[in-house]
Amino acid sequence: METNWAEDHLQTIRLLMERSALYRRALAPISIYVGAVGVAAAVAGCAFKIDLSAKFALYWLAVSLVALTGGLVLVRRQAIRHSETFWSPPTKRVAQAMAPAMVVGLAFGLMVAKWSADFQERYDSKFISLGLIVLWSLLYGLALHAAGFFMPRGIRLFGWGIVLAGLILLGAMVWTDFSTSNISPHAVMGVIFGASHLAYGIYLYFTERKNEA
Amino acid sequence: MNPENFLNLDRIIHEKGRLAIMSLLAASPELSFTELRDTLGMTDGNLTTHIRTLQEAGYVSVAKTYQNNRPLTTCLITSKGRKAFADYINLLEKIVQQSKPK
Repeated sequence: METNWAEDHLQTIRLLMERSALYRRALAPISIYVGAVGVAAAVAGCAFKIDLSAKFALYWLAVSLVALTGGLVLVRRQAIRHSETFWSPPTKRVAQAMAPAMVVGLAFGLMVAKWSADFQERYDSKFISLGLIVLWSLLYGLALHAAGFFMPRGIRLFGWGIVLAGLILLGAMVWTDFSTSNISPHAVMGVIFGASHLAYGIYLYFTERKNEA
Repeated sequence: MNPENFLNLDRIIHEKGRLAIMSLLAASPELSFTELRDTLGMTDGNLTTHIRTLQEAGYVSVAKTYQNNRPLTTCLITSKGRKAFADYINLLEKIVQQSKPK
Protein backbone atom coordinates (compact mmCIF):
# COMPACT_ATOMS: atom_id res chain seq x y z
CA MET A 1 0.00 0.00 0.00
CA GLU A 2 1.23 3.50 -0.83
CA THR A 3 2.27 5.21 2.42
CA ASN A 4 3.64 8.51 1.18
CA TRP A 5 0.28 10.00 2.03
CA ALA A 6 0.96 9.36 5.73
CA GLU A 7 4.19 11.34 5.59
CA ASP A 8 2.45 14.07 3.59
CA HIS A 9 -0.32 14.18 6.20
CA LEU A 10 2.20 14.53 9.01
CA GLN A 11 4.05 17.26 7.12
CA THR A 12 0.79 19.16 6.52
CA ILE A 13 -0.20 18.81 10.17
CA ARG A 14 3.20 20.19 11.25
CA LEU A 15 2.88 23.15 8.87
CA LEU A 16 -0.63 23.96 9.99
CA MET A 17 0.28 23.72 13.67
CA GLU A 18 3.21 26.08 13.11
CA ARG A 19 1.00 28.48 11.20
CA SER A 20 -1.60 28.40 13.94
CA ALA A 21 0.97 29.29 16.59
CA LEU A 22 2.28 32.24 14.56
CA TYR A 23 1.40 35.82 15.21
CA ARG A 24 -0.30 36.99 12.04
CA ARG A 25 -1.05 40.70 12.43
CA ALA A 26 0.26 42.90 9.62
CA LEU A 27 3.52 44.28 10.98
CA ALA A 28 4.18 46.88 8.28
CA PRO A 29 1.97 49.67 9.72
CA ILE A 30 3.27 49.00 13.24
CA SER A 31 6.89 49.09 12.13
CA ILE A 32 6.38 52.24 10.04
CA TYR A 33 4.63 53.94 12.96
CA VAL A 34 7.39 52.99 15.43
CA GLY A 35 10.03 54.12 12.93
CA ALA A 36 8.30 57.46 12.35
CA VAL A 37 8.01 58.05 16.10
CA GLY A 38 11.71 57.17 16.53
CA VAL A 39 12.90 59.51 13.77
CA ALA A 40 10.63 62.36 14.93
CA ALA A 41 11.80 61.89 18.53
CA ALA A 42 15.44 61.93 17.43
CA VAL A 43 14.93 65.20 15.55
CA ALA A 44 13.08 66.71 18.52
CA GLY A 45 15.76 65.47 20.94
CA CYS A 46 18.49 67.16 18.89
CA ALA A 47 16.44 70.34 18.40
CA PHE A 48 15.58 70.74 22.07
CA LYS A 49 19.09 69.73 23.17
CA ILE A 50 18.05 67.06 25.65
CA ASP A 51 21.67 66.24 26.35
CA LEU A 52 22.01 65.24 30.00
CA SER A 53 22.02 61.46 30.30
CA ALA A 54 19.24 61.43 32.93
CA LYS A 55 16.96 63.49 30.71
CA PHE A 56 18.04 61.48 27.68
CA ALA A 57 17.02 58.23 29.42
CA LEU A 58 13.66 59.58 30.59
CA TYR A 59 12.95 61.18 27.23
CA TRP A 60 13.52 57.96 25.31
CA LEU A 61 11.60 55.89 27.85
CA ALA A 62 8.67 58.25 27.24
CA VAL A 63 9.15 57.89 23.47
CA SER A 64 9.16 54.10 23.77
CA LEU A 65 5.94 54.30 25.78
CA VAL A 66 4.34 56.36 23.01
CA ALA A 67 5.60 53.89 20.39
CA LEU A 68 4.40 50.88 22.40
CA THR A 69 0.97 52.37 23.10
CA GLY A 70 0.51 53.36 19.45
CA GLY A 71 1.63 49.92 18.32
CA LEU A 72 -0.90 48.24 20.61
CA VAL A 73 -3.67 50.52 19.34
CA LEU A 74 -2.80 49.50 15.76
CA VAL A 75 -2.85 45.81 16.73
CA ARG A 76 -6.22 46.29 18.43
CA ARG A 77 -7.65 48.04 15.37
CA GLN A 78 -6.52 45.18 13.16
CA ALA A 79 -8.06 42.65 15.54
CA ILE A 80 -11.39 44.53 15.60
CA ARG A 81 -11.39 44.86 11.80
CA HIS A 82 -11.01 41.08 11.46
CA SER A 83 -13.47 40.32 14.28
CA GLU A 84 -10.72 38.66 16.27
CA THR A 85 -9.66 38.83 19.87
CA PHE A 86 -6.97 41.40 20.65
CA TRP A 87 -5.24 39.47 23.42
CA SER A 88 -5.05 36.28 21.37
CA PRO A 89 -2.76 33.36 22.31
CA PRO A 90 -0.13 34.29 19.66
CA THR A 91 -0.17 37.90 20.92
CA LYS A 92 0.35 36.62 24.46
CA ARG A 93 3.27 34.44 23.36
CA VAL A 94 4.94 37.37 21.57
CA ALA A 95 4.44 39.61 24.62
CA GLN A 96 5.80 36.95 26.96
CA ALA A 97 8.84 36.40 24.75
CA MET A 98 9.67 40.11 24.62
CA ALA A 99 8.84 41.01 28.21
CA PRO A 100 12.04 39.97 30.07
CA ALA A 101 14.43 41.90 27.83
CA MET A 102 12.11 44.90 27.69
CA VAL A 103 11.79 44.99 31.49
CA VAL A 104 15.58 44.87 31.85
CA GLY A 105 15.86 47.73 29.32
CA LEU A 106 13.35 49.74 31.33
CA ALA A 107 15.30 49.04 34.53
CA PHE A 108 18.58 50.22 32.96
CA GLY A 109 16.87 53.38 31.69
CA LEU A 110 15.44 54.18 35.13
CA MET A 111 18.82 53.41 36.74
CA VAL A 112 20.57 55.91 34.48
CA ALA A 113 17.84 58.46 35.14
CA LYS A 114 18.19 58.06 38.90
CA TRP A 115 21.94 57.70 39.32
CA SER A 116 23.12 59.71 36.35
CA ALA A 117 24.82 62.28 38.61
CA ASP A 118 26.90 59.53 40.26
CA PHE A 119 27.87 58.05 36.88
CA GLN A 120 28.86 61.49 35.60
CA GLU A 121 31.59 61.70 38.24
CA ARG A 122 33.42 59.05 36.19
CA TYR A 123 32.02 59.37 32.65
CA ASP A 124 30.70 62.24 30.63
CA SER A 125 27.00 62.49 29.87
CA LYS A 126 27.28 61.57 26.21
CA PHE A 127 29.30 58.45 26.99
CA ILE A 128 26.60 57.32 29.45
CA SER A 129 23.85 57.97 26.88
CA LEU A 130 25.72 56.01 24.22
CA GLY A 131 26.31 53.18 26.69
CA LEU A 132 22.58 53.11 27.38
CA ILE A 133 21.88 52.93 23.62
CA VAL A 134 24.21 49.93 23.38
CA LEU A 135 22.32 48.17 26.17
CA TRP A 136 18.93 49.07 24.75
CA SER A 137 19.94 47.90 21.27
CA LEU A 138 21.19 44.57 22.55
CA LEU A 139 18.14 43.99 24.74
CA TYR A 140 15.64 45.10 22.10
CA GLY A 141 17.35 42.98 19.46
CA LEU A 142 17.21 39.97 21.78
CA ALA A 143 13.54 40.68 22.54
CA LEU A 144 12.73 40.76 18.82
CA HIS A 145 14.69 37.59 18.25
CA ALA A 146 12.79 35.81 21.03
CA ALA A 147 9.47 37.06 19.64
CA GLY A 148 10.56 35.87 16.20
CA PHE A 149 9.92 32.26 17.23
CA PHE A 150 6.20 33.10 17.18
CA MET A 151 6.28 35.49 14.23
CA PRO A 152 7.37 35.47 10.60
CA ARG A 153 11.06 34.67 10.26
CA GLY A 154 12.03 38.18 9.14
CA ILE A 155 11.63 39.46 12.70
CA ARG A 156 14.49 37.29 13.94
CA LEU A 157 16.77 38.69 11.24
CA PHE A 158 15.65 42.18 12.15
CA GLY A 159 16.45 41.40 15.79
CA TRP A 160 19.91 40.24 14.74
CA GLY A 161 20.33 43.51 12.83
CA ILE A 162 19.56 45.58 15.94
CA VAL A 163 21.94 43.44 18.04
CA LEU A 164 24.70 43.95 15.46
CA ALA A 165 24.03 47.70 15.41
CA GLY A 166 24.44 47.73 19.19
CA LEU A 167 27.69 45.78 18.99
CA ILE A 168 29.03 48.07 16.25
CA LEU A 169 28.21 51.08 18.43
CA LEU A 170 29.98 49.42 21.36
CA GLY A 171 33.02 48.79 19.17
CA ALA A 172 32.96 52.39 17.97
CA MET A 173 32.87 53.62 21.58
CA VAL A 174 35.74 51.39 22.66
CA TRP A 175 38.08 51.57 19.68
CA THR A 176 37.35 54.95 18.11
CA ASP A 177 36.74 58.47 19.41
CA PHE A 178 33.05 58.18 18.53
CA SER A 179 31.93 59.11 22.05
CA THR A 180 33.77 62.43 21.81
CA SER A 181 32.59 63.20 18.27
CA ASN A 182 29.87 65.72 17.43
CA ILE A 183 27.30 63.03 16.65
CA SER A 184 24.34 63.34 19.00
CA PRO A 185 23.11 60.22 20.85
CA HIS A 186 19.64 61.21 19.64
CA ALA A 187 20.84 60.80 16.06
CA VAL A 188 22.16 57.34 16.94
CA MET A 189 18.79 56.44 18.48
CA GLY A 190 17.10 57.84 15.38
CA VAL A 191 19.13 55.54 13.15
CA ILE A 192 19.07 52.36 15.25
CA PHE A 193 15.46 52.54 16.42
CA GLY A 194 13.82 54.97 13.99
CA ALA A 195 15.28 54.56 10.52
CA SER A 196 15.70 50.79 10.88
CA HIS A 197 12.00 50.33 11.76
CA LEU A 198 10.99 52.63 8.93
CA ALA A 199 13.10 50.66 6.44
CA TYR A 200 11.80 47.32 7.78
CA GLY A 201 8.22 48.61 7.72
CA ILE A 202 8.52 49.75 4.10
CA TYR A 203 10.02 46.39 3.17
CA LEU A 204 7.15 44.60 4.93
CA TYR A 205 4.58 46.90 3.34
CA PHE A 206 5.50 45.56 -0.08
CA THR A 207 6.26 41.95 0.86
CA GLU A 208 3.18 41.45 3.11
CA ARG A 209 0.93 42.82 0.37
CA LYS A 210 2.64 40.60 -2.16
CA ASN A 211 2.11 37.56 0.05
CA GLU A 212 -1.55 38.44 0.53
CA ALA A 213 -1.98 38.71 -3.24
CA MET B 1 2.51 -2.78 6.49
CA ASN B 2 -0.13 -3.68 9.00
CA PRO B 3 -3.46 -2.69 7.35
CA GLU B 4 -5.08 -2.64 10.78
CA ASN B 5 -3.37 0.66 11.56
CA PHE B 6 -4.91 2.21 8.52
CA LEU B 7 -8.35 0.89 9.39
CA ASN B 8 -8.00 2.26 12.93
CA LEU B 9 -7.46 5.82 11.74
CA ASP B 10 -10.18 8.07 13.13
CA ARG B 11 -12.54 8.66 10.16
CA ILE B 12 -13.77 11.95 11.59
CA ILE B 13 -10.29 13.45 11.80
CA HIS B 14 -8.95 11.77 8.67
CA GLU B 15 -11.01 13.94 6.31
CA LYS B 16 -8.74 16.64 4.85
CA GLY B 17 -10.69 19.70 5.96
CA ARG B 18 -11.34 18.46 9.48
CA LEU B 19 -7.72 17.36 9.88
CA ALA B 20 -6.63 20.90 8.99
CA ILE B 21 -9.06 22.38 11.54
CA MET B 22 -7.88 19.98 14.25
CA SER B 23 -4.21 20.76 13.45
CA LEU B 24 -4.78 24.49 13.85
CA LEU B 25 -6.78 24.11 17.04
CA ALA B 26 -4.28 21.69 18.55
CA ALA B 27 -1.56 24.36 18.37
CA SER B 28 -3.64 27.21 19.70
CA PRO B 29 -5.84 27.32 22.81
CA GLU B 30 -8.65 28.88 20.77
CA LEU B 31 -9.22 30.37 17.34
CA SER B 32 -12.02 32.48 15.96
CA PHE B 33 -14.17 31.29 13.10
CA THR B 34 -12.68 34.05 10.93
CA GLU B 35 -9.10 33.03 11.75
CA LEU B 36 -9.86 29.41 10.84
CA ARG B 37 -11.65 30.39 7.64
CA ASP B 38 -8.92 32.79 6.49
CA THR B 39 -6.03 30.46 7.36
CA LEU B 40 -7.58 27.49 5.59
CA GLY B 41 -9.21 29.39 2.74
CA MET B 42 -12.52 27.59 3.30
CA THR B 43 -15.97 28.93 2.61
CA ASP B 44 -18.20 29.78 5.58
CA GLY B 45 -20.55 26.91 4.73
CA ASN B 46 -17.79 24.34 4.39
CA LEU B 47 -16.14 25.37 7.64
CA THR B 48 -19.48 25.38 9.49
CA THR B 49 -20.22 21.83 8.29
CA HIS B 50 -16.82 20.51 9.37
CA ILE B 51 -16.97 22.23 12.73
CA ARG B 52 -20.44 20.83 13.34
CA THR B 53 -19.18 17.30 12.61
CA LEU B 54 -16.25 17.80 15.00
CA GLN B 55 -18.57 19.30 17.60
CA GLU B 56 -20.97 16.34 17.36
CA ALA B 57 -18.01 14.00 17.91
CA GLY B 58 -17.08 16.02 21.01
CA TYR B 59 -13.71 17.02 19.58
CA VAL B 60 -14.34 20.74 19.35
CA SER B 61 -16.40 23.15 21.39
CA VAL B 62 -17.79 26.38 20.04
CA ALA B 63 -18.46 29.57 22.01
CA LYS B 64 -20.51 32.45 20.69
CA THR B 65 -19.87 35.82 22.29
CA TYR B 66 -19.95 39.48 21.35
CA GLN B 67 -16.95 41.73 20.91
CA ASN B 68 -17.49 45.43 20.27
CA ASN B 69 -21.15 44.69 19.49
CA ARG B 70 -20.15 42.19 16.81
CA PRO B 71 -20.75 38.45 17.11
CA LEU B 72 -17.59 36.46 17.71
CA THR B 73 -17.50 32.69 17.29
CA THR B 74 -14.50 30.94 18.81
CA CYS B 75 -13.57 27.28 18.54
CA LEU B 76 -11.40 25.26 20.85
CA ILE B 77 -10.29 21.69 20.96
CA THR B 78 -11.70 19.59 23.82
CA SER B 79 -9.64 17.14 25.87
CA LYS B 80 -11.39 14.30 24.02
CA GLY B 81 -10.45 15.96 20.73
CA ARG B 82 -6.84 16.45 21.83
CA LYS B 83 -6.58 12.77 22.74
CA ALA B 84 -8.16 11.68 19.46
CA PHE B 85 -5.79 13.95 17.54
CA ALA B 86 -2.75 12.58 19.43
CA ASP B 87 -3.90 9.02 18.75
CA TYR B 88 -4.36 9.85 15.08
CA ILE B 89 -0.83 11.24 14.81
CA ASN B 90 0.62 8.25 16.65
CA LEU B 91 -1.06 5.92 14.19
CA LEU B 92 0.20 7.94 11.23
CA GLU B 93 3.72 7.76 12.63
CA LYS B 94 3.38 4.00 13.05
CA ILE B 95 2.29 3.68 9.44
CA VAL B 96 5.28 5.72 8.29
CA GLN B 97 7.66 3.66 10.44
CA GLN B 98 6.30 0.38 9.16
CA SER B 99 6.63 1.47 5.56
CA LYS B 100 10.33 2.28 5.93
CA PRO B 101 12.72 -0.35 4.59
CA LYS B 102 14.54 -2.22 7.41
